[in-house]
Amino acid sequence: MRRRLAKYYPLVPVYALYLTLFLIGLHVRGMWQSMALLAFYAALGQAFNIFLGMTGYVDFGYVAFLALGSYGMALAVSGLYKFDWLGGGIVVIGLLLALVMAGLLSIAVGGIALRLRGAYFAIATIGVNEGFRYLIEGARLWGGSEGIIISRNLREAFGTAGANYLSTFWADTLIFIIAALAALITVRYMHSKIGYALTALREDEDAAKVMGINTTKYKIIAFITSASLGGLIGASAWALKLTYVFPADVFAIIYTVEAIVIVLLGGAGTLLGPLVGGVIYAALKYWLSVTFPGLQLLILAPIIIIIIVAFPQGLIGVLKAKVKGTALEKVIV
Amino acid sequence: MLAGNLVNGLLLGSVYGMMTMGLSLIFGVLRIVNVGHGPFLMVGAFIAFWMFHLFGLPPVVSIPLAIAAGIVLGFIFFYLVIRRLVGAPELTTLLATFAIGILLEEIAKFLWGPDFRGFSWNVGKLALPPITTIPMSKIYALISSVVIALILYLWFRKARSGTAIRAVMEDSEGARVCGVNVEGIYALSFALGIGLTVLGGTLLTLFIPVGINPYMGGIYTLKAFVIAVLGGLVSPWGAFYAGFVFGLIENGSYTLFGLIPSIEPFSMTRFLAFLLLLVILLFKPTGILGGR
Amino acid sequence: MVGLIIVVAFSGDLASSLSQQAQLPSEILIGGPISLSGTYAKEGSQGLWGFQVAVKWVNEVYGGVAIGGQKIPIKYIYYDDESKKETVTSLLERLITVDGVKFILAPYSSGLTIAGAPIAEKYGVLYNSHGGASDRIFEQGYKYVVQTIVPASRYQVDILDMVKALDPEAKKVAFLFEDDEFARAVRKGALDYATKLGFEIVFDRTYPSGVADLTPALTEMAATKPDFLVGGGHFADGQLLAKQIRDLEIKLKAACIMVAPTLPAFGEALGAAAEGFTGPAHWEIGVRFSPETTPWWEEYFGPTQEWFIDTFREISKGVDPDYHGAEAAAAILAYVRGIENAKSLDPLAVRKAMSFLRFMSFYGDWGIDPETGKQIAHKSVLIQWQHGKKEIVWPPEAQTAAPWYPMP
Repeated sequence: MRRRLAKYYPLVPVYALYLTLFLIGLHVRGMWQSMALLAFYAALGQAFNIFLGMTGYVDFGYVAFLALGSYGMALAVSGLYKFDWLGGGIVVIGLLLALVMAGLLSIAVGGIALRLRGAYFAIATIGVNEGFRYLIEGARLWGGSEGIIISRNLREAFGTAGANYLSTFWADTLIFIIAALAALITVRYMHSKIGYALTALREDEDAAKVMGINTTKYKIIAFITSASLGGLIGASAWALKLTYVFPADVFAIIYTVEAIVIVLLGGAGTLLGPLVGGVIYAALKYWLSVTFPGLQLLILAPIIIIIIVAFPQGLIGVLKAKVKGTALEKVIV
Repeated sequence: MLAGNLVNGLLLGSVYGMMTMGLSLIFGVLRIVNVGHGPFLMVGAFIAFWMFHLFGLPPVVSIPLAIAAGIVLGFIFFYLVIRRLVGAPELTTLLATFAIGILLEEIAKFLWGPDFRGFSWNVGKLALPPITTIPMSKIYALISSVVIALILYLWFRKARSGTAIRAVMEDSEGARVCGVNVEGIYALSFALGIGLTVLGGTLLTLFIPVGINPYMGGIYTLKAFVIAVLGGLVSPWGAFYAGFVFGLIENGSYTLFGLIPSIEPFSMTRFLAFLLLLVILLFKPTGILGGR
Repeated sequence: MVGLIIVVAFSGDLASSLSQQAQLPSEILIGGPISLSGTYAKEGSQGLWGFQVAVKWVNEVYGGVAIGGQKIPIKYIYYDDESKKETVTSLLERLITVDGVKFILAPYSSGLTIAGAPIAEKYGVLYNSHGGASDRIFEQGYKYVVQTIVPASRYQVDILDMVKALDPEAKKVAFLFEDDEFARAVRKGALDYATKLGFEIVFDRTYPSGVADLTPALTEMAATKPDFLVGGGHFADGQLLAKQIRDLEIKLKAACIMVAPTLPAFGEALGAAAEGFTGPAHWEIGVRFSPETTPWWEEYFGPTQEWFIDTFREISKGVDPDYHGAEAAAAILAYVRGIENAKSLDPLAVRKAMSFLRFMSFYGDWGIDPETGKQIAHKSVLIQWQHGKKEIVWPPEAQTAAPWYPMP
């Protein structure tokens, strides 16, 4: 029993940190949205890391899954808001639809593009993201470039106060839950066949194949998991929270880049890394935008470059090496 | 109508090709995808703008300056950042080049502000009735592209450093064994790649002398990816030819999509471009023009 | 259900704690997230300067907001939202709860304005849109959102009026707009109005954002032989559209492009090619809105145009104001007048007062639909590039020069 639980020890610092953020947001005036911002970036990193951190494959078009997730939620709300008896069920259906849509795209992309490696894979995924966006705009799918606005629908379904609360509280709480879920899945994968197979793959894909590991299968599992979580993030943090979905906004590649920054900053393939990376990244950006409005990217870009060159293994990567052999080894993963 | 579009596509394609050679050269030699490609084009466009605005020099005259500035920029970034990342996982190189792009954009905004600038260099027009009318500046863009590509070709074939680059492209370990200073070649290729990219930005202003601003590059990064993939990704020559092909496809498919009701042909041409990118990557990763 | 009870309890608690400030503060806080970097950096910096000019006028010339027998100065607070939706929500909450701002200046663009609206509604603070033009914002049933900018559906209607008045023979209009939310809203408004006026729409296409070459669309358009063109989107594509119309030597009697021609950069970039292009402007240097031209039944409020332009240039270090700067300043003037009429700093009371607020300023008329908060009083003008300068050519009562029709 103890041994089976032992693998979950690393979750203790992770969940403690998420809980701290959550409680600060709940009890300190004016901190809720700021904590939600931190949680959004942490969740983004956590979900992205499951694929990128474990396989080393860079999915540059990752934001497409968030985009589809936000469409899933927006379509569910705008299609079902008239059915009063559904109540909060609309949101549940929205999340499910987000899961299905992001999942389907990931199966399609995973089945095809995962045959490619390295830079070729990265470029292919950019192609998927951009191609999908222009298909929506060009073929006038789901409102085309005008997207979907669901403010009014949410108000009609939940009343003004309810809709406000949904957008400014529950959407953010969902992000905390998704982040926690992503962390749990990461731990489970790390200690299962998937994790071992992917570690072998990351070291040397050809060797892993020769050893008889079905690399494609495990890659696709990680890819779909990561994409589905991304869909949920998009559904909550974009559609539900911001109450609109415009294709130009949700297919923006900059979010993938931010996710990469977060994962790299914290340490690719670690559990605690994306959380630490997300919190530091978001806090730094927030602080810079308040302190030096207009100059934050000018300051941030060199910092990112320095981190890449000086600490390519990330903060938690460095820390992991430090605590090796000490009692902390079990919880810093 | 189609003929006019194709002529324009061909002209724009020459610039597209030039704009992408640097990307392919860098990937071919260093195996690094320069995700910050577009911002370097922006630098070239600004060079053309300032030379014209301050001294009245047309973009064709600014070409040597653009190459020189690009090469200097390339060496700076190589020795500061890229040198340490050769052979590193994609994750770090993609992020590093993207960050360099952001840095360039923000420096440009800091220096020149977020305004949309432009200039007009009027050197007459070439009327091709009944097909279309072409400003001479676009013809000069075509000529410049072809001439520069030719010079580059000769240099790659004849000059020692040029052949060394080709050797490293083919097989960097083999080249090292044969006594080639591989690190030096990396530096030179990166610098030259950036030089060509900045130059591409300058040539772009011959075609589109308006809308010059710090964030103009992003869309061209994406276009360059498609073109580079069409050309086989590792070959600057492939990229140069692929530029023409891409220009033709982009402008030609507009007319075809226009026949389908209730869709937006312009957005569909972009969809087609990315679809093409995927198909080629999957089925013919060496590019449509065959081999390297 | 339990959630809903908690919802009501929690938000009620917040609302009461916010309104328990009966005593007048030493300064009135007005502020908002603003885009100083990213996609909207250009519009954002104009907006920032516009706000700063208005605040300077209220505090130094007007003497402060007159309320409760006192004159209270304004303090303007802003943070950079990087043109990004995540940043908007957290900065907004900070402004509302930490800084205590009750009069928010919404961020630039329709998307970001919608992104922040639920937060403003939750805390019950006023939310004045100076850069979110989409009509759809005002179809969502928000209580605290008001608009200073002209709604998108009315951007491109003046040109239709003008052509109809000048040339009853011209029936064929071509539409070529950018394919994004904003431009499509403009297109829809123009489409409805054109149909109403009896124009024949011979060409109706869009182009994607960040377009590099418009020749395919323009060639196709030229083949339909339109009398005039209505279209555009943002800055870069608008410049390109004008440039390529000239390159291809397409003959049009008028070409009205939104956004781009209103900027000085348009003329600088295109030189002689800019001549004759028109564009709708919510405001323009030289519009004749002054205390003297204001009818007796309407109130003039705010700085004169000269004062505004001079101070703007001083603050921006030489940059001329365009309509983004002017409407930003007008948003602050509307708040000041709203507070004074309400004789209260309670957002709901001010919102009520703003429903019936009508005033004239250097920016022109200001007045909203009491129900939705949508701007209905402000009228835009048409500018045309003539001899390297922007002249106001429509409506006739605002003209600084007669329109060149057909365009050269």
